[in-house]
Amino acid sequence: MQQEWINWSGSIRFTPKSIETPENEEMLVDLVRQAVAFKRNLRVVGSSHSCSQVFKTDDILVSLEKFADIESYDATAGTATVNAGMKLHDISQALLKVGLAMENIGDVDYQAIAPAIGTGTHGAGKHLTNLSGQVIGLRMVTGTGEIVECSLEQNPELLRAARVSMGTLGIFTAVKLRLLPAYKLHRQEWCTHIDDCLANLDWLMEENRNFAFYWYPRRDEARIRIWNLPGQGSTDLSFARLDKEWSGWSGEVLPTPQELRYDESEYSLPVEVAPECFKKVRQRVKEKHRQMVGWRILYRPIARDDAYLSNAYERDIVAITLHQNAALPHWEYFTDIESIFQAYDGRPHWGKKHTLKAKDLRSLYPMWNRFQEIRQRLDPNGIFLTRYLRELLVGE
Amino acid sequence: MKTLGKTTWAIPGGHIPLRSTGHEPEFTSRDELCLLNTSDQEANVEIAIFHADREPVGSYRLKVQARRVRHIRFNDLIDPEAILLDTDYASVIESDVPIVVQFSRLDSSQAEKSILSTMAFPAS
Repeated sequence: MQQEWINWSGSIRFTPKSIETPENEEMLVDLVRQAVAFKRNLRVVGSSHSCSQVFKTDDILVSLEKFADIESYDATAGTATVNAGMKLHDISQALLKVGLAMENIGDVDYQAIAPAIGTGTHGAGKHLTNLSGQVIGLRMVTGTGEIVECSLEQNPELLRAARVSMGTLGIFTAVKLRLLPAYKLHRQEWCTHIDDCLANLDWLMEENRNFAFYWYPRRDEARIRIWNLPGQGSTDLSFARLDKEWSGWSGEVLPTPQELRYDESEYSLPVEVAPECFKKVRQRVKEKHRQMVGWRILYRPIARDDAYLSNAYERDIVAITLHQNAALPHWEYFTDIESIFQAYDGRPHWGKKHTLKAKDLRSLYPMWNRFQEIRQRLDPNGIFLTRYLRELLVGE
Repeated sequence: MKTLGKTTWAIPGGHIPLRSTGHEPEFTSRDELCLLNTSDQEANVEIAIFHADREPVGSYRLKVQARRVRHIRFNDLIDPEAILLDTDYASVIESDVPIVVQFSRLDSSQAEKSILSTMAFPAS
């Protein structure tokens, strides 16, 4: 019997012809080769936290839930190779046991690592890259059923293309991460008026290891979140009220438990224009969307990287994220604000809702054509391309 | 202190004004709940929101500490979903200990501030 697949927010629903859960690389290779032989399509899925259609398929859905261990680690070198289906939360816990930690993770940590990397998912911190920037090597099964490895030393161009590729070059089976010795962070949450937050934005982003703020559209107030190594960073924000603070291991204090379901749209903008863009978004929300929108807008800086389809490719960025309750309409809100993001050269988050297609995206990514050449070489039959991904990457 | 109030309250006339005038959040147009818990126990409060054209939404859950008062703007309630502005709604407030519930509205749609305040209906 066919089984419906529903994403975390509930806004993406589909019924694949089959759901496969291979237990090892050999089984995955067989699946890919059969898909090629029978002209089938095959999409890989993680924890389904994404609310874009990136994993939606009416053919074969491949879950990597059984690829969920630390494959190896080197505490001295500060590296670990992690199976692609392992959840970020589980990775944090497993690494802590051997004295290691990821450089940064996002606001939620229940995603599987490979899709989080492959969609350009990130945390917050002006000098910290997205998750894909922490990848120094990976192993994948390509669209012809070959097992291919690449790293900073071995075929580095393929690594740059593959890191943020949404599973369209191959299905990741393992990723090698650059890590830090396990570390603790002190987390503070400050409340203030949005005007005061914006007036102090530059030094807050510079002075604190991790920084983000939420704007609450029905109060015009901001919640500033900062995380720092003990004894470092800002400790007294004279313009704000300290609401709460606590300390703990990085994997425990970086994410925020979240039960409330929501849909998201997010664009990344050059850091230089992000405050101006945010002010336009704020103005538009107050003028047009407050009736329906009660939830926060999130502002997070991220350091540049060199992954071809990363929204931080060769530019320091700020990601501005719209949230809407999953039970309420979101498209009118998201598409209206999208026009502001686009006016500031924004790049959409691959795992969140947006309306851009290949013709719109091509000019936003300097290495777009090179990426497509590599994609066609590794998946010549297009078995990883669904209708959505063809519109997104090919333009058919 | 004697425990005052009831455990079930109703407010039929909810309607959060859409427009605001003046600096926010002080002058944000809003509907607001004032909850008084005079008991020695923390009050676990659940709010159900009723609409004119669809089924009720809830519960919105919050707590009021023992012997404390808490003000909550309906505008800020987002879990399970934001309450629509400029839309008629009603609320039923249930608590596991007796509380006193007052309702107020600040309408700053026009620059001249307007405040309305009334006791909620003590149902039981």
